[in-house]
Amino acid sequence: MKIEVLFPEICNLYGDLGNIRYIEQSLKDVEIINTSIKAKPAFVDERVDLIYMGTTTEKGLILAIDALKPYKEKIVELIDKGQFFLITGNALDIFGKYIESDWAEKIEGLGILDTTAKYKMLKRHNSFFVGNYVNHKNDKKAPCKVVGFKSIFGHTYPGESGKACEGMFVKEKGIGRNTEETSEGFRINNFMATYLIGPILPLNPILTEELLAEMGHECEAAFKDTAMKAYKERLDEMLSDRLHAVY
Amino acid sequence: MSKFKFFLGLWAGKLSIPLLKITKHNGTDYPGVLATKFCPDFLKYVQKPKKIVVITGTNGKTTVNNMLIDILEANGMKVFANRAGSNIASGISTVFIKGSSIFGKLKKCDIAVLEVDERSAFKIYPYIKPDVMAITSLSRDSILRNAHPQYIADILTKAMPEETTLVLNADDLISNRIAIDNKRVYYGIDKLPTDDKPYDGLLNDMQICPKCNGKLKYEFNRYNHIGKASCSDCDFSSPEAKIAVTGIDYDSKSFTVREDGKIYTYPLIADSFFNVYNLITLITVLRQLGFEHETIVESMNKTHIPDSRHAIDKVNDITLVTQMAKGKNATAASRIYDYITGIEGPKEILNMTYCAEDADHWSENICWIYDTDFELLNNKDVRKIILAGPRNADFKLRLLMAGIPEEKIVTEDDQMKAVSLLSFKKNDTICLLYAVDSVDMATKVRGEILRQASQAKTDTDASGEKLKSDNAMEISNAVMNTHEEKEAK
Repeated sequence: MKIEVLFPEICNLYGDLGNIRYIEQSLKDVEIINTSIKAKPAFVDERVDLIYMGTTTEKGLILAIDALKPYKEKIVELIDKGQFFLITGNALDIFGKYIESDWAEKIEGLGILDTTAKYKMLKRHNSFFVGNYVNHKNDKKAPCKVVGFKSIFGHTYPGESGKACEGMFVKEKGIGRNTEETSEGFRINNFMATYLIGPILPLNPILTEELLAEMGHECEAAFKDTAMKAYKERLDEMLSDRLHAVY
Repeated sequence: MSKFKFFLGLWAGKLSIPLLKITKHNGTDYPGVLATKFCPDFLKYVQKPKKIVVITGTNGKTTVNNMLIDILEANGMKVFANRAGSNIASGISTVFIKGSSIFGKLKKCDIAVLEVDERSAFKIYPYIKPDVMAITSLSRDSILRNAHPQYIADILTKAMPEETTLVLNADDLISNRIAIDNKRVYYGIDKLPTDDKPYDGLLNDMQICPKCNGKLKYEFNRYNHIGKASCSDCDFSSPEAKIAVTGIDYDSKSFTVREDGKIYTYPLIADSFFNVYNLITLITVLRQLGFEHETIVESMNKTHIPDSRHAIDKVNDITLVTQMAKGKNATAASRIYDYITGIEGPKEILNMTYCAEDADHWSENICWIYDTDFELLNNKDVRKIILAGPRNADFKLRLLMAGIPEEKIVTEDDQMKAVSLLSFKKNDTICLLYAVDSVDMATKVRGEILRQASQAKTDTDASGEKLKSDNAMEISNAVMNTHEEKEAK
């Protein structure tokens, strides 16, 4: 499996790169291409199985948008052809129309997703999340439950076509794309973007197996017994009535 | 009207102090909370000392702050200070309430030395304008509160009074670019023989040039983004330190400092490398305040690093290192793991660095453990790691991902029972790591470890192997009392 990690030198906050380490430990044969911010992305000229990008700083968002703008058409083409993308945390906003912040000028995103992020830089949103993931390869499979965390400066607010777009997850507890929507993140074909931060895959061994299976790599998630124990404990904890999702 | 509100706040805050004492809540910053309820810009109206020094940064600010106060007081100055670490706006307000008369007149002092939480800048610096501000460094901290270090740097830049002289770490390319137009003095630690091995951990938040986004090349990279770097594509490089450590001699407990081409020898009053950064920060602040090197050396010889977060007990040839490892803080936790794996000889670790508060009220965001260098524990001298507390499975998964063999990892939900899983072997070091909000539990667990270590003596066998015994023996009260007093201080 060939994974291109976009801009790991800046898109690496909150343990997000733990996702890549977990895939490497779950699959035997993984090739990682780390593409730096000034380099031409590998996906432009060669086939990769997965394109990954994680959470970054607010300046990092601008750098990543600038770096990817020349390849916008290629990204759209790849999404249409079913290229797998996994985008976590605020990296989702790179693909939206705009980022509005009370600390900065309005930033134009790649405009691939019909959505606008709104940040309040002194009002951080912290919550946990439980949702469902629908396997796109095997529609007979029951949705798997996913646990995770959000720690962000705001939410994203889709336009009409954005609202109609499938989410990566369907919220069961916590916050979706914003406080109104039950969809969390976006899924277009195999382009998957979520506001959940950090090590989503190690936190969700079943999701890891399903995503890798969708990419054609059936395997058992690494250290599955321990990962499942942590996952089940967290799922039970998060679903208990005693706890509110928002910190 | 505003002044009226200020006095209401001041009096309410002052009245609350005896009430809090009666109800045994005198350590809180409630007086400041109350004052700002009456007067949101309470700090605007308090009488200010004529000179103000602020110490801020992610790690080390309490250490630098308290040593600075000690040295200034030892040199006959009256210091207005928040030694207890009440460093957010309500805490600073509380200090001013306690230090002011009912008419708002500040008690007589020569200087104010305030430790200030870096995230609280917007609530403090519009009113309290430091003459000198030292920033120890900025690194990853609580994801929930502090997001990332550049965010904190941006806050400090936006809130920085233009008249403040900054004392900055030349080796930290995040904090040393704060408020670039302000007058500044850089300190640092020059390249040392121990800097040959580059940092290969998980976190480096300065990998690209802040000017052109080119790849930064590190002449040396001690840990995280701490080191000296230059850009491979443009002329950007780390600033030169005006005052810098040039050598450390752990045997003679001294270190050398250069300034303006001259070398000065200082006493090394700490055994950990990260405290050398705290010491050079302290020296540079004192130099800004006009102290001569000789006076600083003399003063440092009479002081010590106050460290309520670290204790070493020796019982029956077993050493117990009790160390607070700030939970939710990947950088601080990694430094602690680096420190304990640097202790010579076999060791066992009892890890309780989960967030106790979240365990009661929320589901702890454990993303930070994926930024923490647990790989450091993958070391032959680390014989066993006992994970105790509610997030065992998360920590175990992370340790497995760090390559630590499963047979070395033991989990136990009950932290007191976890003590029995230690081997108590002669000449072993036991490292008890706990988070900020687990102090009470850590105290109990430490007591139990010492009790069982003390028992172990009754059962010493000829081989010196397993020393543990089931026979109860009174723990040395003297040992425990010493450390409880130290923590209380």
